[in-house]
Amino acid sequence: MLLLQLLINGVQVGALYALIAVGFSLIFGSTKVFHFAHGATFTIAAYIFYYLYSVSEAHWILAVLAATAGAVAFGVFMDRCIYAPIQRHEGSFFTVFVASLGAGIIVQNLVGMIFGRGFVSVTTPLSRSIELLPGLYVAPLSGIAILCAIVFFGALQIFLMRTNVGMGLRALSENPELVRVYGLSPRRLSTIVFALGSLLVIPAAIITAASSGLNPAIAHHIMLISLAATIVGGVGSLRGAACAGLLLGMSENLALMYLGPQWSEAVTFIVLFLFILFRPSGFFGRAIAS
Amino acid sequence: MLAYIINLVTLISINAVLAITLNFIMGYAGIFSMAHAVFFGVGAYTAAYFALNVSASFFLAVPVAMLAAAVLSLVLALPALRVRGEYFVAASLGLQVLGVTIFSEWKGFTGGLGGLIGIPPVEFFGYGLSSNTQYMVLALACLLLVVLVTTVLLRSSFGRNLKAIRDSESAAHAFGKNVATIKTLSVAISAALTAVAGALYAFYLGFINVESFMLDTSVLLMAMVIIGGTGTLLGPIVGAMLLMLLPSLFSYMWFLPATEIGSIQQIAYGAAMILLMIYRPGGLVGASKKQVAK
Amino acid sequence: MIAMKKVLAVGLLSFAAGASAVHAADVTIGALFPLSGPNASYGDVFGSGVNLAAEHINADNLINGKLTVQYEDSQALPQQGLIGMNKLVNVAKVPYVLSAFTGVSKAISTTAARTKTVAVNGGGVGPDLADLGPYFWNVIPLANDEVRAMLPYLVKERNMKRFVLVYVDDPLGEGVRKELNSTLPGVGGELVEALSVPATAQQFSGIAARVRAANPDVIYIASYGSQQSQIMKQFRDNGITQQFVSYTAFSIPETNALPEAKGALYTSQNIDWNSSDPVTKRFVDDYKARHNKMPTAYVANYYNAVRLFGLLAQELDKQGKPITGENLLAQRIAMKTFDLVGGKVTFTENGTVISPMQINEIDGAGGKVAAVVKE
Repeated sequence: MLLLQLLINGVQVGALYALIAVGFSLIFGSTKVFHFAHGATFTIAAYIFYYLYSVSEAHWILAVLAATAGAVAFGVFMDRCIYAPIQRHEGSFFTVFVASLGAGIIVQNLVGMIFGRGFVSVTTPLSRSIELLPGLYVAPLSGIAILCAIVFFGALQIFLMRTNVGMGLRALSENPELVRVYGLSPRRLSTIVFALGSLLVIPAAIITAASSGLNPAIAHHIMLISLAATIVGGVGSLRGAACAGLLLGMSENLALMYLGPQWSEAVTFIVLFLFILFRPSGFFGRAIAS
Repeated sequence: MLAYIINLVTLISINAVLAITLNFIMGYAGIFSMAHAVFFGVGAYTAAYFALNVSASFFLAVPVAMLAAAVLSLVLALPALRVRGEYFVAASLGLQVLGVTIFSEWKGFTGGLGGLIGIPPVEFFGYGLSSNTQYMVLALACLLLVVLVTTVLLRSSFGRNLKAIRDSESAAHAFGKNVATIKTLSVAISAALTAVAGALYAFYLGFINVESFMLDTSVLLMAMVIIGGTGTLLGPIVGAMLLMLLPSLFSYMWFLPATEIGSIQQIAYGAAMILLMIYRPGGLVGASKKQVAK
Repeated sequence: MIAMKKVLAVGLLSFAAGASAVHAADVTIGALFPLSGPNASYGDVFGSGVNLAAEHINADNLINGKLTVQYEDSQALPQQGLIGMNKLVNVAKVPYVLSAFTGVSKAISTTAARTKTVAVNGGGVGPDLADLGPYFWNVIPLANDEVRAMLPYLVKERNMKRFVLVYVDDPLGEGVRKELNSTLPGVGGELVEALSVPATAQQFSGIAARVRAANPDVIYIASYGSQQSQIMKQFRDNGITQQFVSYTAFSIPETNALPEAKGALYTSQNIDWNSSDPVTKRFVDDYKARHNKMPTAYVANYYNAVRLFGLLAQELDKQGKPITGENLLAQRIAMKTFDLVGGKVTFTENGTVISPMQINEIDGAGGKVAAVVKE
């Protein structure tokens, strides 16, 4: 029964990781920008939701909308005001990454100053587990997480495959120059990607706020997961990022069967490290030129 | 007051060595490692363990620490050979997290979360260093040594090869340069020199624990190199000085609430990183954006 | 919290203003607390006790000259702590420093020993804090005493025999584990499982599954700060209904406000908040008046640390001796027992204290004392 419980935990956690990773993978795959501040987007969204819902006791729909607005605004701000100027004159991977890192540091500290540095969480009956079978506990929130993951991912696929903007985004990840030739603006598409990618953090941010809780430093953990899942899944493949997120969540939990808890985090990174050494293109990614 | 300044100079020298060695692989070899704190830790723990169990002699403990770090650096060199850019950053992040876990769990060697205490003072021919002034002189001497070694290396053909690889790996390969060997060597040299700083740190504090070798430290070191200026000799030293003095500087600004000083200081260097990347990617010491080669 | 920051800010402002015109008779002691970073809330808590004690000492004219406290930010990290300690010892030339967080305490202990400066811990309870030299004192009973006080109560009064330990594997957690292993069989209990968690872990649903599988009566949590709240919340969310138990770390406001912590028990030094003992009563009354809430164990500990200084310095003044670390140590050894908040406290040879313990219960309304355990 322990194995089954850990498996289900793995799927719950994996669904969240998949949601988080897909946003980053979309941005990174389309624009090649190493958006390290994606973790900061998550933090902002989660804290806005927490503040409005738990502290100001606003209606949850209002809190969700405000969180979405905050996340999208931040993502677009990063793209327009920070990445764009850098890319205009130099745009090497390094400069963009460093600027993103700096932004992440600023957000983490501002959030700490405004909301306090301790641990906060949103209290809701949805996070309480119900005993489905003797020894098997599942919370409604996990069901919501899995549902959200499926819905959002499905919607994203439809958007990318069926709409014009979506096709433009896919073209952008393949060949930005060619996109310009066809009369589309890579700049505008890039902004849309950032808005979309940032929007994708919302379900994960809210569910994390209600389940494991928040602290300003949570961005590090989020970033590590997104990065690991994106690379293991293959850069440029959203399906890969989602699968990898699921896989990482499951391996983290199943490792508990055999190893002590102190090694769970390490397992994720051993997996990442091995993939980078032996299969950098990940599961579904295109082979990368070394 | 003098003793306070001596303490600061010692710690700045140690951090400057770390920044210089990080700059060696970042600014010159194009290897963006976020795992630098791990090698700092390896050097510190090895020297401390050696001093506690075998001998506290400088000429034994430090080379052993350097060797340990150089050998372990192969773990970092492996992904460096396979991938670049973002992928390498991810691998180094993974190594950093892994390193911290090992430091925390390997109680026999690192003392686990409790760390190692009672590290004996470093000895030179049987004479143990006791005063802070002596440690400051030692730290400055090591800093000078590291600067000398890196300068000589960079001016040599090895250095030119490194820059060639940084600017265009495929071109360097086409010219017959053994890219793999050069990259591995540069990572090993950087790690070995980092271990010197680690050993100094362990001897000076007399106590080390995993808290000094976590991701935050790696990020801080990277900030020092970036803000000071990558690919320059003076840059990392300037960066180290600036970022180490910031907390003290801020604490003298009486109008800032004491509880927020740490946050304000981090915000300051985060903002510095962003602004520098937009307007002056070469850092404070480096070339302005107009001079940066495309 | 905001008021606390204002007090600290105003306090620092006046110290800074006064620093430029210090009278020769003024006495300064140092405080090395995390004023920023993830553990800043502890700095607030400790500081509130320190400030109140300094005020009382000055109001009573206990020592010659005015007592001021100089705060330095350790960020709870060893390197920062060392820099702050250096500033206190070499620039402000303090004879007495309040320390917090084991990593910082260990890092500064060599400096304390070398410069003969007294360093006092009022927060950490790891057994390794007893071995930091004669100049390092602890005004809080260490972990072994805490655990030993809790076990008989749980087994005998609450009939809980099966224990599971969830701990951070540092000397404190290790000490708790050793103590549980050695003491439980003797009182009729059993340590069924011990699960070590990384200090940075935030996800505990998997560990919850393992805890459930072990089927305990009670779960001892040896963690601190935000993590202990996360553990309790996620455990309750994952169907664990058993009793939570811990040590003084549970006394922080953040944990007491957590709904999932209701009913949790923890040990702390025995301090009867309603006691009529004049020292305790004054402390409780003034604290309540200033902060609109009851003080907690950590506040009292750091109040005591400063009060201890006041008492020692008073004696030294009477004997005409200068207030140096060396003299303070000698005086402490001579006097041994002190009237602090909570009653009389006696120092042992190695600079630790022995005192009765009490078992507190978190009830979401300020907490209550479930039992008092005399040694």
